[in-house]
Amino acid sequence: MSTQSIRTNFLGTETSFSVSGAWLSYWILLLRLTAGWWMLHAGLDKIWAWPFDASWFVGGAAQGTILAPFVTPFSDGILLAFVNVAVPLGQTAIGLGLILGVLTRTAAFFGAFMMLFFYFINGYGGGWANGMVTGELLGIMVFGTIVALGAGGVLAVDNRLREMELFENTRLRKLLG
Amino acid sequence: MYVGGGLVVLGVVVIGLLDMLLGAGHPVDSEGAIEHAAVVPIDIRAGIILLGLVIWGLVAVYKFAAGSAPSGSTTGQTPSGMDD
Repeated sequence: MSTQSIRTNFLGTETSFSVSGAWLSYWILLLRLTAGWWMLHAGLDKIWAWPFDASWFVGGAAQGTILAPFVTPFSDGILLAFVNVAVPLGQTAIGLGLILGVLTRTAAFFGAFMMLFFYFINGYGGGWANGMVTGELLGIMVFGTIVALGAGGVLAVDNRLREMELFENTRLRKLLG
Repeated sequence: MYVGGGLVVLGVVVIGLLDMLLGAGHPVDSEGAIEHAAVVPIDIRAGIILLGLVIWGLVAVYKFAAGSAPSGSTTGQTPSGMDD
């Protein structure tokens, strides 16, 4: 087991700190699996109870929130139909992606994207009664951590994908962990 | 990246601290949720946080689209004789 010394320039200041490679690997894998199950569970719940109807959320709960102008168009018609499919399948795909470590950064990005809506709409719905730091915001932070730390490098399918010719392209490699 | 993070910290921590120091007391309702008068309107505070999160997202998309090289940081491996 070895300690890695991280040296960088942060806010114009030379910054260095040490981190245990073993503990870091262990912890980011744990974050990935926990956040992955969180999303997979949410997605599978909706799939088991198919059909999923998001109209109460995007049409009702979102009203009066800061996201209402962006979300209200999805409360009816074909856009609602899209949401009704995208949310359950998306959560399931994000969850599987994180648990298996497939396109990890992509999965975490979309997890954070989805959680952004839940954060503000659920927050307003509860009157921000318990403050601005909610489980959804912490979820966004966890997804951000997975993106920042490249959690798809630890016991992940992404390690195999990295060896493929398709992902030799630098841009596509960024989709991996 | 710094702007996004700065806005999130401003909205969550700084305004939260101001709220706590300058706002009304913190009565707790029957369900145990804290209620207090907001110094900064909640819509503005939520907007600041939303803007910060959106900027983070845009930075992530930009870094992917631009195909930028890794930032100038180095790591060194210091063998440690002790189990962590």
